[in-house]
Amino acid sequence: MGDHPSNIYELRPVSIIRTLPQIKDHMLFQLKLEDGTTWDSFGHQPGQFIEVSIFGKGEAPISISSPPTRCDTLEICVRRTGRVTNALFDMGRGSTFHIRGPYGRGFPIENLKRYKLLLIAGGLGLAPLRSLLLYALDRKDDFEDIILMYGTNNPDNVLFKYELLSFFDRDDIKYLYSVDRDEEGIWKQYVGVVTGLFDRTTLSSDDTCAVMCGPPIMYRFVLQKLIHLGFSKEHIYMSLERMMKCGVGKCGHCAIGDRYCCMDGPVFPYTEIENIKEAI
Amino acid sequence: MKTIAKKDVKALLSLWTKEYHVLAPCRTARGDFIFADFSEESFTLDYKKPPLPPKSVFLPHTEVIFTVENGQFKETVTAHNVVLFGIRSCDMMGILQCTSFMTRDRNDIYYSTKNAMARTVVMACPGPQNETCFCTTTFSGPVAHKGFDLLFYDMGESFIIQTGSKRGEDILMSGPLSDIDNAVARRKIEAFTKQAVENIPVVDEITEAMTRLESGNVDEKIWEHFGQKCIVCGGCAFVCPTCTCFNVYDHESSPGHGIRARAWDACLYGGFTREASGHNPRATQASRLQRRHEHKLLYYNDTDVQGGLCGCVGCGRCSDYCPVRIGTLEVAKALVSN
Repeated sequence: MGDHPSNIYELRPVSIIRTLPQIKDHMLFQLKLEDGTTWDSFGHQPGQFIEVSIFGKGEAPISISSPPTRCDTLEICVRRTGRVTNALFDMGRGSTFHIRGPYGRGFPIENLKRYKLLLIAGGLGLAPLRSLLLYALDRKDDFEDIILMYGTNNPDNVLFKYELLSFFDRDDIKYLYSVDRDEEGIWKQYVGVVTGLFDRTTLSSDDTCAVMCGPPIMYRFVLQKLIHLGFSKEHIYMSLERMMKCGVGKCGHCAIGDRYCCMDGPVFPYTEIENIKEAI
Repeated sequence: MKTIAKKDVKALLSLWTKEYHVLAPCRTARGDFIFADFSEESFTLDYKKPPLPPKSVFLPHTEVIFTVENGQFKETVTAHNVVLFGIRSCDMMGILQCTSFMTRDRNDIYYSTKNAMARTVVMACPGPQNETCFCTTTFSGPVAHKGFDLLFYDMGESFIIQTGSKRGEDILMSGPLSDIDNAVARRKIEAFTKQAVENIPVVDEITEAMTRLESGNVDEKIWEHFGQKCIVCGGCAFVCPTCTCFNVYDHESSPGHGIRARAWDACLYGGFTREASGHNPRATQASRLQRRHEHKLLYYNDTDVQGGLCGCVGCGRCSDYCPVRIGTLEVAKALVSN
């Protein structure tokens, strides 16, 4: 960068190693750094995000889906929805684009270690939570039991399907899946909203930390459930979604009260935002 | 301390133009007053509140941040040795607040490089520049208390010049200046300041509105009311000395070639918080107006305030220019009206 301080908007070129279709309009992209360095040097934490930058289209904040324990690649699970993600979907293996990051405050790994982990995901909310889930599975000795609650709107929209299926063989993770609707009657698990899963298991609220990510509507109902079950607010964490344009707390788009989602979040302890009206 | 006769100010600024890009109050051919490149013909000392704050010197309305060739990004940081002559104290506070925000935690070099190369010469206000000034409420005037390189006090036929930094001293090394006994100067400055402060009434509604917002003792219908009136022009944000929000966009002139630029944005716009999915956490104009005013009066950052009262510096421009009268003054008064 020469004789002046580094540029917070500086970009790094990456290329696509592999594209793994998930469900309709959702793709898992595996990336590598074009400068030849490995992702260990990236220093990302579960729950952080990157800005995907495609010249001519713009930049979009995308959560990192892979844990830092698996640094052979960086994975992002993307929904095809706007200019940038459409351009990304039009790219194939070997294509290059730019990223910035990693940004934001991820999941509070150190605080979670002494507790049982309850992960509650809705839809694409599983994408960031997966980085924590895989991290906890890779560092099993550091964590107590893991419970995953995952809800999607129908059986066709289950992300990471084969990965989730593989958990059936493991005894160190308890999984509860739900779908809002099952018109064809093919779903063997719970049909209903994700909060319905709380009635299908026993949770020990005093030694469990809840971490959630999903569509905005999910938070209010899950919070109600958790508080009702006796979870202390200090043990509830959530990853919020905002239009994080710059990722470095300058552009102002992701402000929530006196916080910036891109710097102070996207993962917030409930206690930090419960009094900010526009947060949830 | 130094003094300068009013008739000699032009000569001093002319001298500065040899080394600096001097921006000063100028009268346009049509009679408007703006801050522009100094010229002997258009320069004027007969000016009130500048219509725009000087933030665009550091955060231009539109700025290229990268040029792109063959898909490769090349940063373009531009900056000049600037002297900003004659800015008002409220705008000095605006610069301080913006600079704190743009440089803390992560330093925005596009802003900070320009800021580091600028000298600020503040013109203390002897009284309100118009009926919307309330700097005595926000601790941002009528006399700047920090940040300036030079501070001019109007003594009628001459100015007394207070230096605020080594850089300020440096640009006073030569020019048509005289010395004034420090004790005499200080007495005159004290009298000037005392009178100026008395001339600008404190607006109690501002502090009361802040207290109400803090305690949640606010009638939410006020936001609905203003939300109905707002025409979403974004003007209040653009004339605000402390609004820094920006959008980033690309212009691709041919495949792989072009620019990435940033431009002012405003939290009043519906698209400001809208996500790619279509979800908008601030879905109503009422919520967007509430955001803007709460950012100034409630959710300001303590570090960024720089000795001021809050995120508003009391310049009154939002009240001056809002076509439908939704300035900070009007909002504060409405918040405390019941």
